[in-house]
Amino acid sequence: MQSGFDAHNPPFDRLSQTEVEELRAALDIGYFRPGETILARGGASEALHVVIKGSVEARDEGTLNAVLGPKDSFDSRALVHGAAGEDFTAAEETLCFLVPKPVVLGLIARNPGFAAFFYSEISEKLNAFADAHRAEGMESVLRARVREANPGPAVFIDADATVEQAGHRMAESGSNVLLVRDGARTGVITGMNLSKAAVLRRLPLETPVREVCHFDVVAVDAEDFVFEALLLMTRHDKRRVAVLRDGEYVGFLEDIDILGLVAGNTQLIPGRIDRARDVEELAAPARDIQAQVERLHRQGVKVEQIAEVTSDLNRRLFVKLFALLAPPSIQEQGCLLLMGSEGRGEQTVRTDQDNGLLLAEPVLEADLARFREAFSGALDGFGFPPCPGGVMVRNPVWSQPLDGLVRQLRVWVMERSPDAAMNLGIFFDAVAVAGRADLLRDAKAALIGTMRGERALLARFAHLIETFDTPNLGVLSAFMTAVGVGSDEIDTKKAGTFPIVHGIRTLAMDRGITATATAGRIGALVEAGAFEPEFGQELVGALRVFMAYRLRSQLEAVRRGDVEREAVVRPSRLSAADRDILRDALRIVRRFRDTIRNRYNLGAF
Amino acid sequence: MRRGALWRLFYRASLADHAYKFLFRPGPEGEAVSLDCETTGLDPGVDDVISVAAVRIRGNRILLSERFEATVRPEDARSSSEAIKVHRLRERDVEGGEPMRRVLPELLRFIGGRPLVGYYIDFDVRMLDKYALSLLQTKLPNPQIEVSSLYYDRKYGNAPPGTTFDLRFASVLRDLGIPPLEQHDALNDAVMAAMAYLALRDMKARGVRIRRERSGQGPPPTGG
Repeated sequence: MQSGFDAHNPPFDRLSQTEVEELRAALDIGYFRPGETILARGGASEALHVVIKGSVEARDEGTLNAVLGPKDSFDSRALVHGAAGEDFTAAEETLCFLVPKPVVLGLIARNPGFAAFFYSEISEKLNAFADAHRAEGMESVLRARVREANPGPAVFIDADATVEQAGHRMAESGSNVLLVRDGARTGVITGMNLSKAAVLRRLPLETPVREVCHFDVVAVDAEDFVFEALLLMTRHDKRRVAVLRDGEYVGFLEDIDILGLVAGNTQLIPGRIDRARDVEELAAPARDIQAQVERLHRQGVKVEQIAEVTSDLNRRLFVKLFALLAPPSIQEQGCLLLMGSEGRGEQTVRTDQDNGLLLAEPVLEADLARFREAFSGALDGFGFPPCPGGVMVRNPVWSQPLDGLVRQLRVWVMERSPDAAMNLGIFFDAVAVAGRADLLRDAKAALIGTMRGERALLARFAHLIETFDTPNLGVLSAFMTAVGVGSDEIDTKKAGTFPIVHGIRTLAMDRGITATATAGRIGALVEAGAFEPEFGQELVGALRVFMAYRLRSQLEAVRRGDVEREAVVRPSRLSAADRDILRDALRIVRRFRDTIRNRYNLGAF
Repeated sequence: MRRGALWRLFYRASLADHAYKFLFRPGPEGEAVSLDCETTGLDPGVDDVISVAAVRIRGNRILLSERFEATVRPEDARSSSEAIKVHRLRERDVEGGEPMRRVLPELLRFIGGRPLVGYYIDFDVRMLDKYALSLLQTKLPNPQIEVSSLYYDRKYGNAPPGTTFDLRFASVLRDLGIPPLEQHDALNDAVMAAMAYLALRDMKARGVRIRRERSGQGPPPTGG
């Protein structure tokens, strides 16, 4: 008997077959009249409700938080913590499966994946669900294309060249293998071939390469899958295969390259950045940083770790670029700043470049002009989209002497426009990545000195969080889409990330906290007693939820080439469990906005 | 279809085994049992029940966890191939069942005096009566609640003459928005009938009707 209970629906998909049977055997079905309160806020529940048909509204003090439909379940809080987080009311004739509380609690005790759904801590929930989205891991590596494994270059040598020349050629090119041109045919010679020829066969160093190389080249196409290359290696007992593109040899794929794919080759990028001798050579590792994001995501690395790795690599890139392009005057007098999400270390997929230059003393205008253009131009070339707000070294406002910038900051403080507030926010997130960090410290001290404790100024600054509304997940999705007006899209940046980041930024400015990462600021605020540690954790959790969902939609947008809508998530395409997490996160944002609103009396605007 | 008081009296008097007197007492307040049989065919005189399922309904709850389910091994008749197509219980599956003389007492104890709910419930009851008569010299005296007639009242009760009635089970489910479970499984059918019953009973209490599609508003003819 199927009884219509869908065990593939999260969180039940985490149950084993016997656990599903146990659950099915214990199910009852409840019918609820339209308008009937199924669960009241603060009340306990004797069963987990899984909607069969109909719809259920979840309200928090009258605010409609969500509309639950078939396969959605509620309310984990009522079940586990004995108090429902919201009022649940049937919106139409509704039938629900009722999973008795003892059965749910038993399954929670035995099955951690299932239990995760019921954690009230959103971060714990998210961690456990990360496993469910566990990316294909090893599978994804084998499904990668040969070209993605960064095969080494193809270096050619003539068949008439001597063994000695071949040895030198290998040393120069830093490669342990050469392709041998012999008329129409192509051969391969490796360092091992050379050693054997000289040591074991005692051949003279003048022996032509033709006599020690072999011509049975094993090759794959650059577009082949890595697993095909791996099969060839195994079959032919080789540690490398030649790579062809359009029938031409373009490189070698070695077993070590494949290993690099498994771990992600983030560890190789810093070396390649350091070795770059000019901007052009920096372009390849710059691109790889971006490619890494998708690969790490596919391998199931958590979003905050991806952000950490990415921002570390980006900073190295900026430092190197600064060293390559800045004339001595700017190197001595200047301080390179990364701001906005880059400064907070929360950027994964590149959305824009927020950077600037602070100078201790004015430098030669010609030097500065050339540097501005070269620096921002290079970043354009690396694929960093220009900042729409012009927060770039290229913009003279953002590359000027310290006293000039401090004056500018004061102007923004007094100007009281949203743009000015945004500029202050972006600057407040700045970190110094190269040059004289003391300049940034001074500039920030000046800003904090002006703003700290100034309620009116801070309120004006905080008011930016009112720019976008935080929607109630489900209201739009259920009704608006159903009747064809509007859509169920949620902009995770506007609805989630921005209110948290900016609210926290305001509180940090209020208290003179110098950390730039939002999580770090929250930690400092909790320490300073600005709010409870639990709420701090919830905020960090919510922020990560939005970052994670945004990263997913960004990668999707990049794939589709539709970067305009990179932050848009469609709840209707999420699983019930994902929607549940998103709903929790949005609720936390709303609570936080209320905190900010009350603190700075934003209702007065 | 209603069983009159006289009938009840007669069968109560003729009841062979007085242990079954409970059938004639009203069941617990607010409870009912949704019942469905799968049979070898549609003629109670000839065909046999091969599986039966029942679920109790208490208030607005369907007590699926306390269900009754049994596969019946027919003592003589062979399942007709037509019926096999309908409910997919092959002889082999039925082999594992119990004979009706064991199933029926348990089923009757499960039902007690509760009203019986079903889609075309009269048929199921008539099938069961056949066994009840031979085993207990009685028929099932329980009141019957017919889902299709509740549906008829909600949808066609005030229909103008000439309206085409569609009382198919699938249409009932569709109109009520009940997700169709795999049909012709006795328990699924009993559960779906119970769901439909709860929804219809409530709509009746609230005076809500089911909208009728106007004739002529069906999908346009496709010409093929």
